[in-house]
Amino acid sequence: MRRVGIVGIGNTPFKSRHIDKTFPRLAYESVKAALEDAGASKDDVESVVYSIYNDFFEHCMMPDHHVHYLLGFARRPGVRITTGGATGGYALRAAYAEVASGLHDVVMVVGVEKVGDLANVMEMVKSITYAADPFFEAALGASPAGSYGAAIRFHMDNYGTTQEDMALVVVKNKGNAKNNPDAQSPMDLTVEDVLASPMIIYPLKVLDHCLNSEGAATVILVSEEATSRFAREPVWITGVGASTESGRQAERDDPGRSLFPAVRASADAAYAMAGVTDPASAIQVAEVYDSFSGVEILLYEEFGFCGWGEGTRFLKEGGPDMGGRLPVNPSGGLIGGEHAIGATGVYQAAEIVRQIRGEAGARQVPGVKAGLAQSMGGARGAYSVTMVLEG
Amino acid sequence: MDENDPRFKPLKEQDGFALIPDRWKVDYFMSMGELSRFSLELKENGRLMGTKCPECGSIYCWPRSWCHDCYVDCEWVEMEPRGRITLFARVEISLNDIQTEVPYMQGGVQLEGARYPIVQFIRGEFEKMYPGMPVRVEFRPPEERTGRIRDFYFVPDV
Repeated sequence: MRRVGIVGIGNTPFKSRHIDKTFPRLAYESVKAALEDAGASKDDVESVVYSIYNDFFEHCMMPDHHVHYLLGFARRPGVRITTGGATGGYALRAAYAEVASGLHDVVMVVGVEKVGDLANVMEMVKSITYAADPFFEAALGASPAGSYGAAIRFHMDNYGTTQEDMALVVVKNKGNAKNNPDAQSPMDLTVEDVLASPMIIYPLKVLDHCLNSEGAATVILVSEEATSRFAREPVWITGVGASTESGRQAERDDPGRSLFPAVRASADAAYAMAGVTDPASAIQVAEVYDSFSGVEILLYEEFGFCGWGEGTRFLKEGGPDMGGRLPVNPSGGLIGGEHAIGATGVYQAAEIVRQIRGEAGARQVPGVKAGLAQSMGGARGAYSVTMVLEG
Repeated sequence: MDENDPRFKPLKEQDGFALIPDRWKVDYFMSMGELSRFSLELKENGRLMGTKCPECGSIYCWPRSWCHDCYVDCEWVEMEPRGRITLFARVEISLNDIQTEVPYMQGGVQLEGARYPIVQFIRGEFEKMYPGMPVRVEFRPPEERTGRIRDFYFVPDV
């Protein structure tokens, strides 16, 4: 396989509502920004992978081909990925494969989502719920929060993690978002504020939830041979791991101590490919899928940033804080930064590129050589993609 | 759907196989975003709006907010409400719940000055229509207009 680098990144600001922009327009603005960043024109782009999660959000089946045309890519290849919250990760992987295989030299990944056209939040949750197993789980009307809540509850029962501990993730990520001008929800919060917010699904309260965002993110992947045609030094994708498993909430084959076995499998694969043996020392920054506050604690363990059952200690010791041993979600993550679902995994990669370039502004982690981006989706993280990026 | 839902229907059995009734329905307020002026002018003023690229001069109707060739923002222009038929067809049976009245005609219309044709309803005698036939826009009366493309249709202009 050929080496694959990222030479261009762009994104819109993320908001709960971009009432002044359609979803193709959001895509366009991120594409234009990425092309400018790379010093490229749209004619350089050979192929596009669209990261658009949910047809019900865009009110359109196959939204990708409409966007593709309006972006001026008619008669060039375009394909769309949809794998829940891992849509962005899997879209990057598809683009990676197009470049690494030699099929194309320059491939763009465009992630976009517009959630606010659904008439209300119940319509939004319903649209997500439609992904449930149609024969044996759909009739429960269960939301994804329930499946994540169950995993978090397991951690509470077995490792003594508390709602106060989880609130620390919210305080951190909402606080980190203050350093990100594109973030949707920068906030100064205390643990007490989080605990006082209304309970949705025990133990998850309103402020423990990720955001619903509208916005877009684009990255441009190129082969090593093509990098000289662009203005920016490439950030290399050195590890790509992906894993999809049962979409049913409880069925997992022998997960060992992992509560998100798809995540662990994707991380193992990405580390093996990148030659990472000790992630806690090899990686200096991570943007991970904090769909709910407690999930981030579990993810520290899945990624080997600390040992099994040590996620809460890692958090309380300040390990994932800015200035900590391994800052996690400097952008604010999904809780403070954004969660425009199709855009999320793409935006995470863009953020790691900024960190490696040293262009992350007030959220810059010093001395980043390698970073990790990870997105997951489906009930209890049935899909996961982990990527290692290096300068 | 549960058995208390007024839409509930019991399981259907066919040749020993079970068929479980269900329905998906999702409500929206679709944002027209940067294209909002198209809907507002249509509904409130009975005007058909397009956009023009300030670089290449292409005129787009349906409007788009940027030119896909030049990658610059377009400007609003009012379209001349006439054009010529490109292709057309008569639909004899309704195949969805969007357009239930049949028969109806739809076809491509090349609006004057526009870069691409649009597809729209055409009213008139099917047998007398031909490619290249001049047509003009007719707007529904103000009280019937909703800001959607169904607010107007084409009629022969000969």
